[in-house]
Amino acid sequence: MTDAPATPHWRILLTPRWLGWHLFAAAAVAGMGWLGDWQFRRAMAGNTLSWAYTFEWPIFAIFGIVFWVKTIRDELHPADGAKTSEVVLPAAARPADGTGADPDSVQVGQTAELAWNGSPTDPAAIDGRGGSAADGQEERELAEYNAYLAKLSREVKGHGRWHGLR
Amino acid sequence: MGADPRLAMVVRAYRVLAYVTGTVLIILCFVGIPLQVFAGNLIIVRYVGTAHGILYICYVIVAFVMTRMVRMKVASPGTVIVLLAGTVPVLTFIVERWVTRTYINRALAASANSPAPSPAVRR
Repeated sequence: MTDAPATPHWRILLTPRWLGWHLFAAAAVAGMGWLGDWQFRRAMAGNTLSWAYTFEWPIFAIFGIVFWVKTIRDELHPADGAKTSEVVLPAAARPADGTGADPDSVQVGQTAELAWNGSPTDPAAIDGRGGSAADGQEERELAEYNAYLAKLSREVKGHGRWHGLR
Repeated sequence: MGADPRLAMVVRAYRVLAYVTGTVLIILCFVGIPLQVFAGNLIIVRYVGTAHGILYICYVIVAFVMTRMVRMKVASPGTVIVLLAGTVPVLTFIVERWVTRTYINRALAASANSPAPSPAVRR
């Protein structure tokens, strides 16, 4: 991923969309608190079933707060707790026009097993010791293959996930 | 190397709670509520309803921990569906299968390969 901007990142929480979500979270928590109070009044009026709900709604309200805090933390620190490793590609595998988000590296997190799980066929082709034409060809093929894997990795990285409340 | 035992334990707890909560909710909705509405019999609603309430709290907590461990994004439709599934009859069973396919298997495999997923080329 690209280097984080030096400007305060939390400002994103003040965008209209986020303010709307804050409002929603506050309303939801208040609503659950109100429901708990309503069940408490019902319980006091003799409805024994309401005792369970009297305790349940406040617990849900607390959970709502936890959820909201975690959401914000996820937004501010997307890689929170994620073990990611950097895979540095050979020069030929980098996007030539520099359009990629980060041309120097590809983040491989949970999709690591998709990309590589072993070593390439010929280590000599990687460290560039071979000088023959055949080695050059091999190196080029490897670079192309790596570029292809990097492309797949980029495509798959966002698959099946939703990228927050942006 | 086996999968992370902590992850495996949370996943197991999630599955047990998903199935138990789902079963209890089915009894509540398809036996208890008809009995209450048509026969005025509150006995199932009272006990099974309370049991579901308590189970659902456990379910929400365990399911939330599970979604964090398999790295689902907090405020994503997937996570919200997993958490709310415990209140919709039959949904926990479907969602459990979906989460297993989409996230759990991958997370278990990744934890079995950890700590170092080895890239082929590193310069």
